[in-house]
Order: sequence, then C-alpha cells, then structure tokens
Amino acid sequence: MIKLEMQGISLSYNHAPVVDKVSFQVVPGEMLGLIGPNGCGKTSIIKALSRVLPLRSGKIQLDGQDINRLSRSQMAKLIGVVPQNPLMPETFTVAEVVLLGRTPHLGLLRHESAGDLKIVEWAMERTGMSTLASRKIGELSGGERQRVTVARVLAQEPVAILLDEPTANLDINHQTAILDLIRDLCKERNLAVLIALHDLNLAAQYCDKLVILKGGRLFTEGTPRQVITAENILAVYGMNSLVYPHPENTLPVVLASNKADNRSNNSRISEK
Amino acid sequence: MATSLESPSTRIEGDFLFLFGNDLARMDLMRRFYFLGSIILALLIAASGCKSPVPQGNITDDLGRTVQIKGIPQRIVSLSPSNTEIVYALGLEDRLIGVTTYCNYPPEAQKKLQVSGYSTVDVEKVVSLQPDLILADSIHKTEVIPALEKLGIPVIGIVAPSLDQLLADIELVGKISGKQNAASVLVASLKQRITAVKEKTAGASKPRVFFVTWHDPLWTVGRGSMIDDLIVRAGGSNMASDLKANQTIDLETAIQRNPEVIVVLSSMGDQAVSYNFLKNEPRFQATDALKNNRVYQVDSDIFGRTTPRTIDALEELAKLIHPELYK
Amino acid sequence: MTTQQNQLNALENRVTWRRRFSIFSVAAMAVGLLVVGSLVLTVGSVHIAFRQVWAILVSHLPLVNLEVNWSSTTDMIVTGIRLPRIILAGMAGAALGVAGATYQGLFRNPLADPYLIGVAQGAALGAVTGFLLPWTFLGGYLIPVLAFLGALVSVSAVYLIARVGKAIPVTTLILAGVAIGSFLISLTSYITIISADKMPGILSWLMGKFSMANWEQVGLIAPFLVVGLAVIFIFARPLNVMQLDEEQAEQLGINVERTKLILMAASTLITAAAVCFVGTIGFVGIIIPHAVRLIWGPDHRTLLPLAALSGAILLILADTASRTLFPPTEIPVGVITAFLGAPFFLFLLRRKKKAVF
Repeated sequence: MIKLEMQGISLSYNHAPVVDKVSFQVVPGEMLGLIGPNGCGKTSIIKALSRVLPLRSGKIQLDGQDINRLSRSQMAKLIGVVPQNPLMPETFTVAEVVLLGRTPHLGLLRHESAGDLKIVEWAMERTGMSTLASRKIGELSGGERQRVTVARVLAQEPVAILLDEPTANLDINHQTAILDLIRDLCKERNLAVLIALHDLNLAAQYCDKLVILKGGRLFTEGTPRQVITAENILAVYGMNSLVYPHPENTLPVVLASNKADNRSNNSRISEK
Repeated sequence: MATSLESPSTRIEGDFLFLFGNDLARMDLMRRFYFLGSIILALLIAASGCKSPVPQGNITDDLGRTVQIKGIPQRIVSLSPSNTEIVYALGLEDRLIGVTTYCNYPPEAQKKLQVSGYSTVDVEKVVSLQPDLILADSIHKTEVIPALEKLGIPVIGIVAPSLDQLLADIELVGKISGKQNAASVLVASLKQRITAVKEKTAGASKPRVFFVTWHDPLWTVGRGSMIDDLIVRAGGSNMASDLKANQTIDLETAIQRNPEVIVVLSSMGDQAVSYNFLKNEPRFQATDALKNNRVYQVDSDIFGRTTPRTIDALEELAKLIHPELYK
Repeated sequence: MTTQQNQLNALENRVTWRRRFSIFSVAAMAVGLLVVGSLVLTVGSVHIAFRQVWAILVSHLPLVNLEVNWSSTTDMIVTGIRLPRIILAGMAGAALGVAGATYQGLFRNPLADPYLIGVAQGAALGAVTGFLLPWTFLGGYLIPVLAFLGALVSVSAVYLIARVGKAIPVTTLILAGVAIGSFLISLTSYITIISADKMPGILSWLMGKFSMANWEQVGLIAPFLVVGLAVIFIFARPLNVMQLDEEQAEQLGINVERTKLILMAASTLITAAAVCFVGTIGFVGIIIPHAVRLIWGPDHRTLLPLAALSGAILLILADTASRTLFPPTEIPVGVITAFLGAPFFLFLLRRKKKAVF
C-alpha cells in the first residue's frame, strides 16, 4: 500500500515557524482534508509535500521512501499538485496544457507517442474537457480552467494528488462538480488524495478523514463526524456554532450562531 | 570702409596758420606750399598708424551669417584647431585667450587656456573671459553659435571646403583683426606654392586616388570637400568624386573602382588602425594600389584641418601621387 | 466507433497534422532561406549579371570545370565580399531571433528581447572602449573581443546581483538588467562624446553594420552559434513547460533554476557572438518571435527553429536593403530594422483584443 506519510514535520517560512511537528498519513483510495483557519499551515504543508518549501525537521515518505531522495521526474510521476491559482499560458490550447502532464514520462527529447495521446485524451474526457480540447486557455471560464489543471495532473498518472483550496473563487455548482470529480477519481484509481479546504461543510461532505490544524500544530484528526463538532470549532476558530446532521447523509453541517451574546470576543470587530 | 580725414585736417591747417602766421607771411608762395604740404603729410602718416577704435561694420561669415564687429578684436577665442593655427599664422597669438583641448599646433598653443573639447564648448568659461571675437566651426552652428550670439559676443564661423575658401578665410581673419598686411603676405606665399604644385603636376596622368578616413565601414571624401580639392590640385583623380563630402562607400564599389593610390588618414593618438587594415585586408590585394605598394598614411592633424599647413598637405599629397616628379 | 474513440482519433489526427505542418514549415523556410540568400547574392552596388553569379558559385564546387570569363575582382566580390556577408547576416539574424524567443519564453514577457539582461549594453561599452584604447596586440580583433567580453561581464554582473540563494527570481533579473544596462549606456555615451574623430566609427558600430564581413568572422562566430543553438533547441520542451508558473514546472519534473541558467547562458553566448563583430542590431529579437508565434503558435519545438530561419531571412533582407538603397553608401542595418519594427509594434498593439502571448 503506497502511503503518503508526514512524520513530525516542521516548517519555516521566511524564518518564522509556521508548522510544528505535524504527523499524519494519507492512504490510497482515501480523501484526506486539511482544514483550519487561515495561516494554520495548510498551504505550507502542501508546499512542503511538493518540495517547494524545505523541511526544517521531520520526514515525508511516499511508499516508504524519503521524497527528498527522489529526482524531480520521479516525484512528478508519483505526486501531482493542483495549486491554488495556477498560471497557464493564455495561448496554449487545452490539449497542449494537458499534454504537459506527460512531461515526466517523456524526458528532454522524446516525442509524444500514441500511448501518451491516449492518456491525454482519457484525462480530458474524464474531466469533461474533450469537446474543448482545441480551445485556447484564454477563452475558458474559471471552473473550466480548474478542470484543465486537474486533467493535466491526471495525465501525469500519479499515485497521490494534492489540491490546495481548489474551491476558492468557484461558484457553488462548480465547487461540488470539482469535488465530485476528485472523489470519483480517488476511488476509481485508488489515489491518495490530500486536499486543503477552507469550507468546513465541503470538507465534511467529501473527505473520508480530516486533519484540523491550529497555529501550525495538529489539533485533532478523525472522520468528519468525529471531528466537526461545535466544541472543536469553538476551540479552533473561537466562534460559537451549531452543528446539524445533513438531512441526506447525516454528515455534519456547520452553521454560525447568530445570537449576539453567543459570539465570542475573538470574532467581534473592535469598536476602536 | 574709407575714413575721411578732411574735416580734421582743415582744422589743423587753421591752427597752424594761427601759430606760424608770422613765419608763413615771410615765406614765398612755393616754400609756403611745401611747408604746409609736408606738415599735412606728416599728420596724414601719423593718423594712418593710429589704432583708435574705428567701427568695422558688418561681416558675412562662411555660414552665411552677418556679424557686426566693433573695433579691432583684442580678446580672441578659437573653438577649433584650424582656427587656432590661422590665428598663430597671422601673428595674433598675443590676443588669443581661449583654445580647445585639441589645439596642438603650434606647440605653444597647448599652454593657452582650454575652453572646449572636441565638440562640447564650455560656454560659461568662454563668456567669463569676455572675448570680443570668437572663431567657430560648422559643428557649432546649431547650438553654440546661437547661444553666444544671444550673449552679444561676435562669432565668426569659418568653414573651408576648398583652398580658395581657405585663402579667403585667412584674409577675412586678417582684415577683422587689423592684420591685413600679414594676411596678404601669407596668402601670396601660399598661392605661390599652390601654383608651383599645379605647374609641376600639369600634364602628368591623373591616378585614381582613394582617400580613406575610416575603414569600418569605409569612409571617404567626395566632392565639395577640402581633400577632394587637394587631390585634384595635386594631380590626382578622386575615386569618390561622385560621392558627397563625407560618406561611406561599400567594399564592393571601393574594390571594383580599383584605386591606384590609397591615402589613409591616421587616427588621433597616432594609431595606424585604418592604415593597417587597408594594407593587410586580403580583398584589397588585387587592386593596383596594393599591387604597386602605393598605400600611404597621412597625419590627421594636418589633413583633417584647414589651415596654412593644408598647403603642406597639398605638397605632401603631390609627392605621394606623383613620386616620379619629385625624385 | 464510440465517441471516445472518435475524439481520441481527432486528437491524434490534430497532433499528427500539427507535427507534419511544423516539419513542413521548417523545411519550407529552410528552402526559403537558401532562395533568398542566393537571390540576394546577385544584388549589389556593382552590377553583376544573375547568370554570372551562379557561374561563379558553381565554378567553386569541387570537380567542376567551367570556363572562366569573368575577372578575379568580380569573383572576389561575389565569393569574398557578398557571400560571407550574407552568411554573417543570416547567422546574426538566427541568433537574435532565437535569443529573443528564448528570453520571451523564460521571462514569460512579450517585451523581452535578447538585450534585456545587459548583453547589448555590455557589448557596446566593450566595443567603444576598444575604439579608444591604444592597444595594438589584437589588431583588428580588439573591438570584437572587448565587445564579446563586455557582454559576458555585463550579464554575469546582472546575474550575480539578481541571484537569491540558488534561485534567480525573474522580476529581480529584469530590474537588475535595466539598472545595470542604464549605467553601462551612460558610460558608453560619455566615451562616445569624447571620442573625437572616432565618433563616426563608433556610431556605425552602435547602429550595426555588416560592411567588413569576411570568412574569418564567419568561421569565428559559427562554433558559438552552432553550440548555443543546439543547446537551446534541446531545451525546447522545458521551455514549453515553463510557460506554466515555476512551481508547476518544478512539479512536472523540470529543474527550473538549472534550465533558466542554461538557457540564459546559451542565449547570451549566441547574442554576444552575433553582435561583437557587427554591432547591436535591434528589433529582430522582438519582432521575429512574435511574428512566428502569431502564425505557428507557442510550442517552442517549432517556434525556435522557425525563429532562427526567419530571423536569418529578415536580417539578410535588411542588410541587402542597407547596401542597395543608396549605393555606394550604406545605411546602418539597425536603422532598417527599426524602420520595420515600429509599424510592426503598432500592428501588434492593434491586435491586442486577441491574445498574442
């Protein structure tokens, strides 16, 4: 079983510590959500996993191997990253961008083979981009661009996928569409999926397991039902809330409490 | 402009009559006539040598400008090496108060105060010297001359694209500065030398001369330039006479016209870059000039200026073009 | 066939067709280059008949025995003056076109040109210094050598200033290039002003000229060009990937910093080689990549070879114009390319509605 393990990792950003001795693991076929307030270290952990941010201490292992020992190409064939605001060249077509996902398999000079094109076509089809294959990126909507990046990552044929807040800036229908897609892919291809989310309800609906971070430390982990509670939310976010089971599947749904005296000091905007 | 001495002299005559009335009355008519006449003559001679400020009026310079000169200039600034040499040649060096950094002939000129570089003039410095005459060049036409004019200083532009113009310029400077005699003498001797060269080279065939001022790209001199004039007068034919005064010529054309004599201008700083190039460039080896080893270098301090030494240049050029006539 | 199959076929067809079109374009443009080069060989201020030019060329081929009915001067004009000049112009054009395309790709900026990080300014300062130094041991090679060194030193300075640890942040690089470039330009201007009688020579160099091109220069520049172009062409795919942001490129397996360094070094090398003999010629490095991209798209595997070929063609034509417009005088090549550049930029601006980058 190819596990993605984080063992006691600590990270600094510009010499300021942002993550302190966090450990957890992601197993294939499981969608793990990273949640917590802004600045809790979600994005930093994703960056550490994609080797953008160096570890101050601890180890990250994929399939028992320290990922820092892998070459870039090897990493790219194992882990795919869907960043928060990926830059894409406006004049490339969808097919061309998705084709870039085959880079780690192609090396410097080899030309794309029919097999590579098959994979690209499959990736586009799976993300619903086939009919838009020859459209230029500049002509796409935000949701469509998001899906192009997912298709590109799929073309890498990774065993693990990391997503950094994929639902930010999307309409609610596109938010659910992309998460549906990710979850289906996770189960179909037995991928280990780590997804950083800010929306607690989406996290509850889609993730098999959740890791809550607070101030760079692991606060708690467990299934959504175990972890998304009013007490935890108060402890982590400093806000009073109401947690109800979703009528369709009993997964927790979080509502902010509206009673004035139920708001804590932390969430009140200062009068001064 | 002729000056009139009539009014003063009748006054003087009247005074003398008063002073010497008794003596004159005792002389007979002829002796009286001779006596008065010699006094008047002596006065006339004295008056002609007098240097009192006499307004000169309007001068037209080589740039077509009309300049008003008042009196004989005593504080002269030269803005080009050519003009400095002319000033020295006319014996005006005592009145020379400002020169450029490139004025190196005669050597004493280097001791004078420098007010200008190659093309950039320190107008402040010039003005602070309070000159009453500035000798400028064509490069000063657009900016420096108008600036100096606005400050009320007389500026004369001197540009000599031919020997005739050069001689006229020497006479002009002589006239303005009250040195007409020196100018006439100098011009006469220069003319003599020019005629000598003309006579010596008359009748000889005119070889094609290629005058090179820079090698990359090839710059040469065409019609309307001093050097073109010199080439013709020295008994040669300017290979680039169909070109403008200062122009580039491409390698193809230069080679195809097959120069018989190549004269290369030295660069400042005594480097022989252009000369070495012309001598060694393989593609020129087939020309008559290279085959007969007739590539020469000349000093840009002499050939690049328009001064009395330009006649030295003419003589040197004649020797290079017609060595057989000067054995 | 299922729709899946249909669409897969469609994709395969498109890719195959694309690839064939690219190969065909490159071949066609190479042929075009040869045609233009040979036509231009027959033109010059000295009139030589078309047929005679060909006869001269053919007569130089081994094993050919043609009756010679032209003078050795004519032969020398064709093979010793025009031919090396055309080849040199082509090489310089190829170098500038590719370097421009590379910088535009590296910096993801449509205004990038080969001179962005200080190559031109360093070369200019080196050359202008060479004009004034009284050293004679390098003879006529003093100026090109100093120009070449000046370019390398300038880019190295920019690189060292912009470097942060092991990384070269792109914005810092551009800013450092602009800053150092301006400083070098001011020095160059000062030296030009005090250069006295060398000024025409200096100004000619700064505006670019091929007038004294000879086979020796061709032989000296060719190795730099071949090596530099080969390296850049090999890195065409990483350059494609780098059109995504640098993080994504790293995650796709590209060693971004190393790629940046290699591409910058190779581009600097070919640009320095191109300008050290002929001076700084502008606009080719910007116009060519844009024009090629407009027609053939942004894939660098096609863009780079086509930029080389079209850059060569453009500069050969510009050089021909420079020596045939007002014979026998020559207009500096840089003036001609600037003339072409201005309207081209206006054209680009008007097409802003449709993204060109």
